[in-house]
Amino acid sequence: MASTDPEHNEEETAAVEDEDTGAQVAPIVKLEEVAVTTGEENEDAILDLKAKLYRFDKDGKQWKERGAGSVKLLKHKETGKVRLVMRQSKTLKICANHLVIPTTSVQEHSGNDKSCVWHAADFSDGELKDELFCIRFGSIENCKKFKETVQEVAESQQESKEEDEKEASSTAGLLEKLSVDDKKGEEFVKESSDAPKTEAVATADSEKKEETPVSGS
Amino acid sequence: MALPNQQTVEYPSFKLVIVGDGGTGKTTFVKRHLTGEFEKKYEPTIGVEVHPLDFFTNCGKIRFYCWDTAGQEKFGGLRDGYYIHGQCAIIMFDVTARLTYKNVPTWHRDLCRVCENIPIVLCGNKVDVKNRQVKAKQVTFHRKKNLQYYEISAKSNYNFEKPFLYLARKLAGDANLHFVESPALAPPEVQIDIAAQQQHEAELLQAASQPLPDDDDDTFE
Repeated sequence: MASTDPEHNEEETAAVEDEDTGAQVAPIVKLEEVAVTTGEENEDAILDLKAKLYRFDKDGKQWKERGAGSVKLLKHKETGKVRLVMRQSKTLKICANHLVIPTTSVQEHSGNDKSCVWHAADFSDGELKDELFCIRFGSIENCKKFKETVQEVAESQQESKEEDEKEASSTAGLLEKLSVDDKKGEEFVKESSDAPKTEAVATADSEKKEETPVSGS
Repeated sequence: MALPNQQTVEYPSFKLVIVGDGGTGKTTFVKRHLTGEFEKKYEPTIGVEVHPLDFFTNCGKIRFYCWDTAGQEKFGGLRDGYYIHGQCAIIMFDVTARLTYKNVPTWHRDLCRVCENIPIVLCGNKVDVKNRQVKAKQVTFHRKKNLQYYEISAKSNYNFEKPFLYLARKLAGDANLHFVESPALAPPEVQIDIAAQQQHEAELLQAASQPLPDDDDDTFE
């Protein structure tokens, strides 16, 4: 963003621009001040850098500018989830908004060590869209910092996902054990782990079967 | 001013007419705001193209229906028809082409014949170019006709938000109106299967070898 145009270093020009030379016109709407919500209230910024973002136009096979402004990595205070949010400077509109997930992988951009590329399911417009992004920083250091932070986040999300899965599977294992203890039958365990739907039926059956010995004795 | 293909919204919206000679950058300017891209290729606009453009302000969301009109006479079409019910306007000229500034009074006259007493911004575009033909000091028309003037660059984004901000303030009669952060909604969880992931990786590999359109400037705001 070249705002340092020689023409605009002249103080005179700046004065001209800040002056309101417009006619007095009657307003046509009356607007009330509203509360502003950024949607980022429950998150902490773990990274905040100036950058320029591009999206890949697959039809034209070329990078196109998406916006220039601040790119942030935001970590949710409760869930620990991290997303990337980038806003256009001045208008503050969103130009990227997506979760950093275990499969998020930032790659080098050939021929430019200040920029890097990745894929994301972007939610900028309020609907998920597959996008290839390229981001360019003012320095190699910032680009490196960005790449490393995203990588770390992706790995940590993988770990927390694995923990969740481990927890879930150990719970499932416990349930299975319980079933085994109940039924004392190998076949049933196999069925239940293969198809959860059958399990419900099988459980119902096993309850019936359990009744049988009772009535029989 | 309802158009057949124009959905109405429950927040304030305004018809904005953008006029000026062909090639001054009207379409590029609108596109820049719509998608962020900067289109170098010149394709003259035929007739008119209407684009809804939303902004978030401290007084809520507002929308400009941008009537991006053909600058070239031969593609002009129903000129007065485009102006009717216009609530605000931008007149664009190119600071690297003197003739486009000379034609500003004509655009202003035609516009004011149909739209009386609307806020108008005069924009001198392409101020990023080194060899200007129209210097800031030489721009005086806005003083005679009580227009607001901004020097802009659709290429570098210099002052690119100012015309909209000025018009929004005038239309609402609120000099303190300003743009605010639009709410960043929580993105939903996504499941990416291995096949899709492999496809993304292959696409990414190709994209990574394509150069950026503008990696010559290193300054960001």
